[in-house]
Amino acid sequence: MEKSSDTLLYTRIREKDKDALEDLYDRYEKILFSFLYKMTQDRELAEEALQEVFIKIWRGVGDYDDSKGKFSSWLFRMAQNSAIDLIRKRKKPTVGLEEIAEMPSAERSVEGTAEWQEEKEHIQAAVSQLSAEQQEMIQLFYFKGHTHEKIAELSGLPLGTVKSRIRLALGKLKKTLHGMQGKGAYDE
Amino acid sequence: MNNELCDGLVDYLNGTLSIEETREFEEHLKTCEDCREIVDATGQLPYLSDQEEPPAGMKSRILANVFEEEEEPVPVVSAVEPGKTDIEMGRAPANPELTVTPVTDRKRKRVWWTPLIAAALLVSLLGNAYTFMQLQNEQPAPAEPQTAFQSIDLQPSEGFGGGATAAVIEQADGALNLVVTAEQLAALEGEQIYQVWLIEGDNPIPAGAFTANANGEGAALFNIENNTEEWDTIAITLEPQPGNESPQGQVVLSAGL
Ligand SMILES: [Zn+2]
Repeated sequence: MEKSSDTLLYTRIREKDKDALEDLYDRYEKILFSFLYKMTQDRELAEEALQEVFIKIWRGVGDYDDSKGKFSSWLFRMAQNSAIDLIRKRKKPTVGLEEIAEMPSAERSVEGTAEWQEEKEHIQAAVSQLSAEQQEMIQLFYFKGHTHEKIAELSGLPLGTVKSRIRLALGKLKKTLHGMQGKGAYDE
Repeated sequence: MNNELCDGLVDYLNGTLSIEETREFEEHLKTCEDCREIVDATGQLPYLSDQEEPPAGMKSRILANVFEEEEEPVPVVSAVEPGKTDIEMGRAPANPELTVTPVTDRKRKRVWWTPLIAAALLVSLLGNAYTFMQLQNEQPAPAEPQTAFQSIDLQPSEGFGGGATAAVIEQADGALNLVVTAEQLAALEGEQIYQVWLIEGDNPIPAGAFTANANGEGAALFNIENNTEEWDTIAITLEPQPGNESPQGQVVLSAGL
């Protein structure tokens, strides 16, 4: 349901419908910003990455169609890539004069929270099924945006090993999620 | 993982494939359920994030920038009247001109000046064009410098190619102004800005900010209201956006005072 309405919005955006872009923005602003903040640990970088995402969408870069999976996955992947680009380009300060404490604004929007919470519990439960090492792999690979080369360097593991462990971790995550969604077990 | 192409999954998710490889992998996704499902499962990971309240005004900034792509370039350098604090709407110019940001207090107050206004401001502030030249190290100091400390050159951090000079000018009425001029600056992206800090111990205060013009030059002007502090360092950081109350970006230039 939501998926199809996303796709519908996206179709309208491709026709240069500004209202549709704004609707899409409203729908995903908070999750995208939160995700980008988690990745960058920097509110300004997160905003910049978010802007990149919407500029790309508006320009039709990396056109979406449902052969690319769920719309939200595609959108998040684009956001993740934007953040990675910025992180790699900019790096975090190595010479900080002092840690800055960003003040989050006091009131939090309740809108969308329940759904988010539900998704969160879901994915948390799935992640908790992974070994500590697999969780670490996902943390480094997905949220820190490290390449598998970088992870190999950090962990001292061979490249090929890192790559297959990432894949295994993601594969297990997928199976667990599917199992929880009652879509049946997957044999592999 | 039964296909050679499945190997591309990790790189695909990590965004390290070329455009051509990405296209190739997306073709593969159409026929490989396993990879597609992993892509979708990965797409649920962002929900692990803690809810973070978006910055005020972000939506209007982003949408304006997105839609601006389409339209004729709007003149982006706007001179807001000093004293008016229109913080949220202020943006670094997309095509940075020489801008000077006088900071009269420690609150966020940003004013973007056109080069002309900036030049006029400097001239009137410094009293004469001669002193301005001196700031740019093009002339030796006049016989009776009004500087509280001589122009000092800031040292670039490793990997930074630019240079800057700072001077404190004492006005006839005793007011102190810090003027920083910089050159050979790297071009900025997005809302990035060069931010000047005066530091006492480990307590930095923002002391003006500037962007780089097409020639890689920038200048900042700061009215030092309260000179009781004993500054020991001046530093310039590359901030991701203007208005930070404490440094967030990397130090690119600095000098002891
Ligand atoms: Zn595959």
